[in-house]
Amino acid sequence: MKVKPVNHAKAAEAFLEDAPHLTFHDERLWDMRQKRDQQMHLLPEWQELRSRASAIKEHTLANLPEYLEQFEANAKKNGIHVHWAADGAEHNRIVGEILEKHGAKSLIKSKSMVTEECDMRAYLEPRGVVVTETDLGERIQQLDGQMPSHIVVPAVHKLVPDVARIFAKNYNTDPNDDSPQSLAESQRMAARPVILTADAGMTGGNFLVAETGTFVVCTNEGNADLSATVPNLHIATLGIERIVPRMADMGVFVRLLSRSALGSPITQYTTHFRGPQKGGEMHIVLVDNGRSARLGMEEFWTSLKCIRCGACMNTCPVYRRSGGLSYGAVYSGPIGAIIDPTFNERKYSTLPFASTMNGSCTNVCPVKINIHEQLYKWRRVLAEHHELPFVKREIMHMAGKLMGQPTLYRTAINGTEVALSSLPRFVLYNWLNPWGKHRELPHPVKQTFHSWYKKNRLKGKEESKGGKA
Amino acid sequence: MSSRDTILATLRANRPDPAAHELPPVAVLGDMDAGKARFEDALQLLGGQILLPQEGDTLASAIARRFPDAKIICSAVPDFEGTIRLEDVASPQQAAATDVLVVRSPFGISEMGSIFLSEAQLNSLNSAAHLTQHIVVILSEKNLTANMHTAYVERPEFHTAHYGVLMTGPSATADIQGVLIRGAQGVRSLSVWWE
Ligand code: SF4
Repeated sequence: MKVKPVNHAKAAEAFLEDAPHLTFHDERLWDMRQKRDQQMHLLPEWQELRSRASAIKEHTLANLPEYLEQFEANAKKNGIHVHWAADGAEHNRIVGEILEKHGAKSLIKSKSMVTEECDMRAYLEPRGVVVTETDLGERIQQLDGQMPSHIVVPAVHKLVPDVARIFAKNYNTDPNDDSPQSLAESQRMAARPVILTADAGMTGGNFLVAETGTFVVCTNEGNADLSATVPNLHIATLGIERIVPRMADMGVFVRLLSRSALGSPITQYTTHFRGPQKGGEMHIVLVDNGRSARLGMEEFWTSLKCIRCGACMNTCPVYRRSGGLSYGAVYSGPIGAIIDPTFNERKYSTLPFASTMNGSCTNVCPVKINIHEQLYKWRRVLAEHHELPFVKREIMHMAGKLMGQPTLYRTAINGTEVALSSLPRFVLYNWLNPWGKHRELPHPVKQTFHSWYKKNRLKGKEESKGGKA
Repeated sequence: MSSRDTILATLRANRPDPAAHELPPVAVLGDMDAGKARFEDALQLLGGQILLPQEGDTLASAIARRFPDAKIICSAVPDFEGTIRLEDVASPQQAAATDVLVVRSPFGISEMGSIFLSEAQLNSLNSAAHLTQHIVVILSEKNLTANMHTAYVERPEFHTAHYGVLMTGPSATADIQGVLIRGAQGVRSLSVWWE
């Protein structure tokens, strides 16, 4: 049986109908984007940091096998058990075996997109392991039986009453509790005893450092450090692309990550794990799951530079107005749209169309991934592979005519009065008609990407206005 | 072939040309102010506090004033008594009863207001730093480094500690409708005491 493509536009319609959720979601993410801008403006070296981050990542990806071997050797020297998983199934089997060997029945974990990729909870739970997400947002999603809708703020599509309802059902709290403070306190009180009695702890991780065999975890709530240090057994799962060569490179990435993600200078916790704690055991699972194949895709390999900050999601008008769940994939938003098709080209064939191509994602990306160009390239690839419904192919045909010839495209949407009033509407709405049906974009495009780029590149100051989507 | 070897072989076959992607030299960029004022501003932005001495104050009297209801004050430093010493705390379960933990940090980062802790400061009971309700961190101005670059370049701890955490203010979350809450699952407050 053929997998059906995710009907992203249709799934988003329900979200679009729900004004309070939609408005909050849109504004909250836009607020994160603006806080990011404020942080950026405080650092004159911001563009230099982005260039460095991009160059370090590209170098590392080009030398990935050597750096992974170096990481493995150093981690082993420090007493970490290193495992390699070709795909999600192998990852889950490895984790299951480690837990079984220790007779571990209760696992506390912090947020990890890789374990979502592997659908690990669904594997462990039937085998008698109780998995408790300890990140507040992720826990809300777990209790509600949903995937995270955002890679940094998993429950950002929910409002206070939603959380009150979920906690009332699971924690016996007041269903009418309208205080985020007291709801967060309920999570703390519910999680503490589980943390104190857990058999094993699990974390994801943001970076691997080849030079020292360290992995680095950047979080805010304290739950990751609790999950890693309270039980004697700590398992960490990271994608193989998360590596940097030297400890000194971490400066570049830590300075960019939280500023890009939440607009705070640094996460409350930046934790460096270089070996097991006294009396403890530490495992790390290095997960491929399609990454090594992606490295060979000439037009798409740079998506592996991603540090999962979520900035491209926060800035994307389509993401803000459709919600992460409508993408029907672990990774949503612009980054999701360019990596999901590498997991399943047919299933995620519609996602590269969930973009207005305003280029804002590319401008905010701290590692300079050319996201919007990759979106466009995916559209072409998918069209070639006939994964597109007929209508979209037709629209592509017209759009392709424009976008396939950059000069023509630029002239068409920027050159004349007529084009300005008619073509952007077509480009923005018609090939994504369900968006256009509802209302105009909340933050109207004041400048097209190209006119912005031309202007700002000349000034040598990228993105001062860029991505005002 | 093991998954390890398959993955490495695929990476070797698929990677872009290494010669086209040089490793840039280590970056040391940005503001080089390693001052106390910058540290304090950054710390307070992230919700951390400065424990300010009043006339004739000792650390003990300042803590007593700041945490009047604290019953268990655990000390991880030789020069402060507390009600219990960290060496006498046997397990995370016992550490979970702590109201205030007093530790000494080997360095802070002015750019961020971050303090560093490792197993060396926590008597290898790393969870104690996160299970306590509040933490008081003794820090010396002379141990401030300017920013993240200088920290990673200069500090040997990143190459030696098994567990090394940069804590910047207390635990926090904004996962419920975007409302920022200080004191999520780890410490409810983090205060710095200058020595
Ligand atoms: S693609 Fe860039 S902006 Fe988007 S999550 Fe990854 S690093 Fe962040």
